[in-house]
Amino acid sequence: MLLLPSAADGQGTAISHALTSASTLCQVEPVGRWFEAFVKRRNRNASASFQELEDKKELSEESEDEELQLEEFPMLKTLDPKDWKNQDHYAVLGLGHVRYKATQRQIKAAHKAMVLKHHPDKRKAAGEPIKEGDNDYFTCITKAYEMLSDPVKRRAFNSVDPTFDNSVPSKSEAKDNFFEVFSPVFERNSRWSNKKSVPKLGDMNSSFEDVDAFYSFWYNFDSWREFSYLDEEEKEKAECRDERRWIEKQNRATRAQRKKEEMNRIRTLVDNAYSCDPRIKKFKEEEKAKKEAEKKAKAEAKRKEQEAKEKQRQAELEAARLAKEKEEEEVRQQALLAKKEKDIQKKAIKKERQKLRNSCKAWNHFSDNEAERVKMMEEVEKLCDRLELASLQCLNETLTSSTKEVGKAALEKQIEEINEQIRKEKEEAEARMRQASKNAEKSTGGSGNGSKNWSEDDLQLLIKAVNLFPAGTNSRWEVIANYMNIHSSSGVKRTAKDVIGKAKSLQKLDPHQKDDINKKAFDKFKKEHGVVPQADNATPSERFEGPCTDFTPWTTEEQKLLEQALKTYPVNTPERWEKIAEAVPGRTKKDCMKRYKELVEMVKAKKAAQEQVLNASRAKK
Amino acid sequence: MAAIGVHLGCTSACVAVYKDGRADVVANDAGDRVTPAVVAYTENEEVVGLAAKQSRIRNISNTVMKVKQILGRSSDDPQAQKYITESKCLVIEKNGKLRYEVDTGEETKFVNPEDVARLIFSKMKETAHSVLGSDANDVVITVPFDFGEKQKNALGEAARAAGFNVLRLIHEPSAALLAYGIGQDYPTGKSNILVFKLGGTSLSVSVMEVNSGIYRVLSTNTDDNIGGTHFTETLAQYLASEFQRAFKHDVRGNARAMMKLMNSADIAKHSLSTLGSANCFLDSLYEGQDFDCNVSRARFELLCSPLFNKCIEAIRGLLEQSGFTADDINKVVLCGGSSRIPRLQQLIKDLFPSVELLNSIPPDEVIPIGAAIEAGILIGKENLLVEDSLKIECSAKDILVKGVDESGANSFTVLFPSGTPLPARRQHTLQAPGSISSVCLELYESEGKNSAKEEDKFAQVVLQDLDKKENGLRDILAVLTMKRDGSLHVTCTDQETGKCEAITIEVAS
Repeated sequence: MLLLPSAADGQGTAISHALTSASTLCQVEPVGRWFEAFVKRRNRNASASFQELEDKKELSEESEDEELQLEEFPMLKTLDPKDWKNQDHYAVLGLGHVRYKATQRQIKAAHKAMVLKHHPDKRKAAGEPIKEGDNDYFTCITKAYEMLSDPVKRRAFNSVDPTFDNSVPSKSEAKDNFFEVFSPVFERNSRWSNKKSVPKLGDMNSSFEDVDAFYSFWYNFDSWREFSYLDEEEKEKAECRDERRWIEKQNRATRAQRKKEEMNRIRTLVDNAYSCDPRIKKFKEEEKAKKEAEKKAKAEAKRKEQEAKEKQRQAELEAARLAKEKEEEEVRQQALLAKKEKDIQKKAIKKERQKLRNSCKAWNHFSDNEAERVKMMEEVEKLCDRLELASLQCLNETLTSSTKEVGKAALEKQIEEINEQIRKEKEEAEARMRQASKNAEKSTGGSGNGSKNWSEDDLQLLIKAVNLFPAGTNSRWEVIANYMNIHSSSGVKRTAKDVIGKAKSLQKLDPHQKDDINKKAFDKFKKEHGVVPQADNATPSERFEGPCTDFTPWTTEEQKLLEQALKTYPVNTPERWEKIAEAVPGRTKKDCMKRYKELVEMVKAKKAAQEQVLNASRAKK
Repeated sequence: MAAIGVHLGCTSACVAVYKDGRADVVANDAGDRVTPAVVAYTENEEVVGLAAKQSRIRNISNTVMKVKQILGRSSDDPQAQKYITESKCLVIEKNGKLRYEVDTGEETKFVNPEDVARLIFSKMKETAHSVLGSDANDVVITVPFDFGEKQKNALGEAARAAGFNVLRLIHEPSAALLAYGIGQDYPTGKSNILVFKLGGTSLSVSVMEVNSGIYRVLSTNTDDNIGGTHFTETLAQYLASEFQRAFKHDVRGNARAMMKLMNSADIAKHSLSTLGSANCFLDSLYEGQDFDCNVSRARFELLCSPLFNKCIEAIRGLLEQSGFTADDINKVVLCGGSSRIPRLQQLIKDLFPSVELLNSIPPDEVIPIGAAIEAGILIGKENLLVEDSLKIECSAKDILVKGVDESGANSFTVLFPSGTPLPARRQHTLQAPGSISSVCLELYESEGKNSAKEEDKFAQVVLQDLDKKENGLRDILAVLTMKRDGSLHVTCTDQETGKCEAITIEVAS
């Protein structure tokens, strides 16, 4: 048992420090009814005491029921039960002040109170006169209860509540005081909504979302209002099925009509409100302003960007220009320096040469003989030309510092060296020349022979391949090279280039030789002869079928013309070959015949090769 | 409205229905309340349940067992690899997914583990429909606490494929708590519950905190090496050695003989939970030799004592891991069929001498009953979608009040326990001697156990100028309300005079 202590004197309620730790997040198991209750509360954003509040509300409602005040309807006693349709049933039951808001319990209670007061038996006992049958006004009370206790009938009556103000404010009414005019109207009409939570019109400070939600709600207004109460014919009164159907049809049409009118009414109301709403105007303006601002900002940004770019470009240009200038300056300086140096050197050399000449002259060119002297002079001149500054200086030194003999020896030695050098240079140049010519030769032959050796078998294979894939084959040389690589026994890989080169060199052989090759009669001499590279002065044509002996080869056009002519002049044409020769300009009859024979042969060879390949592949299979 | 709760275990499945305000386990068509989770594939049909389990002697390679262990796992999962090596039914990887290879006479079928689970769920659904009618499909399914997202999805998908409308997947320990209705009647106060689940192949022990009727798993420990089958295996090994002693034949190498012994040991194990001794009798176990053996409960307990020790060690380890002593546990819930073993219950009782051991519901039915109760709570509710990792704000520290006990020494009482889901309000009637004219409530915050240091005091509430009473006590009503951010509002009222003091303490930022 814990007892609380008493407070010391002077102590009061106080907080010494704040709580040190905030709430922590804990993972919980989604199990049990308290968890469900917790989640529900949290989702509804209600506090722990929410349930209690709700309970309290219910209690207060109950107590309200008990205190229900019934308003006496003064005209009650004068009502005509026959005219019940035009009566206000709420007023009859004394609920005129609550109307559609009345709960079922209230209606029941009101009915009970009315019955207790107005039942004919009671009044009879009180000595009031009673009308006979259904004519007594009590029938109205029964009817009212009948209408209001049934939810469907009550809804029908509520829909045509006589106290409801159906009016829609016009646009001009709401010019200045929009909220005062429209707010009550929307409030009033919201009772027809099927959905429970109807958004309020709000005020000038409502957010855009709220306003948007409000108008979208009202434009899609889902009303429960219906007009069956106003049916002119009563279905129950019909005597047969057909009549009932007819009545139903009639009623349906009028109801639909009324419903449409009602929807139009709501629509007009919302339209009016929307067009007058100052907030919408405001939002539109804001939107516009925003867009404008955005546009401006964009333009600004773009401009800035461009400026920045321009600046950068300028800076870059400037930098480049500066760098260039600097470079140029340097180059100029260097050139100047070099020139100066060169000048100095030139002068020095000149001086030295002069010196040499002078010294030689002083020594009388080391000879007495005139011819020798001339020769010596020549040599000295050569020396002057060829010797570098340093060696010149050295030579001059020896010449000036030593005796005539020694000077002569040195000079002669120098001359000898120079001559040796000149000779060497000459030799080198010659050697280079020879090398160059050799290289040229090699290169001319290289393409044909290549670095790879062509064996006899390979050559045959190549010829076969060339015949097999005639000119015009798609990427012909690659195909041929491929074919060679596949079928060659030598194992050398050949590229299209190699093949082209070889084929070209082969092309220069005479057709007999080729035939020989085809027939495998290829003796050694001929082979060597064929393989020997020749200067590449042959025709550029790649066509293999031309008779390229001593005539110009057949060009494609000529070939075409020939073929055409062969077709136009069949075998039995008299003087066929003359005509064919005429058709092919620049060719004699003999040429044409020769060509034709060749062609025939080639076609035959090709066919044979193809067959061979076919057989080979078949055998492989 | 009726709802269903299903527990699919490694070795067996059980279904309970919630009807007319109570949950009950439904017996299957064979009259058993628990159905073996075994599916056998034969030439022209798929057999689920007891028939499949009994026929496994002849059809071992086409009988799928313990499907839960592989459900939703991929081949690189060590657990799945272990399962694949142990499984008698061939498991292969196909298109990156694990499949059972089942040979049913003319063709080889590749069966999805989800399909196996679906067959078991279908069976459970049939069983439930036998008492509910075929329009009740709302179900809550239990999963182990350590199940991953993929495994949960696979299990949920299997249940949906079986025609269930899965309301929620809940954890097994929470279902066990719910079956006993712990914390559901009075949603105030806080208690710690130990859930001991010894299933067919695994032992899992969890410490749960119940606060304001909401459950939290504080820590959990799973051991895959202790389970009902291990007990059976131990017993079967013993029987084999007995057979060898009598007939000089070693049957351990013979798979079919061992299977027969396992079946027999299983039955013997079950009867030993209630009887003092059980008889194993097997006709022509090996080479026409009949086998007859009597096993006493004492013998069984002796054989299994290493396993019992492991179980107790697991509990001790968990307590140590969560920093609790045996006295901090308020209740122990037993579930899983093997926790029926009397020796085990005795050992647990010895470990928690002052604690209530909840075993009134048959242990293998606890979890499905809890699931059915949850299904009954959820049925008819809208938006059941609960984010998977559901986190809620809870108070971090205990709020205590200082007072004096009869002997005059200072003592503390917890007014607002830590871990209370926020927002929350707690109301306490405290007492003070009537002879004093002022009362002082000194409030402390602490993480410890019913004690606080002087510097933990954060506020005091003083009620002054109270009417003095000659003798007797006065009642002081203290209401503490904590908001979601952790700030606290305290109101103290003297019940007689109606004098009132209120303060609000914010959280230090």
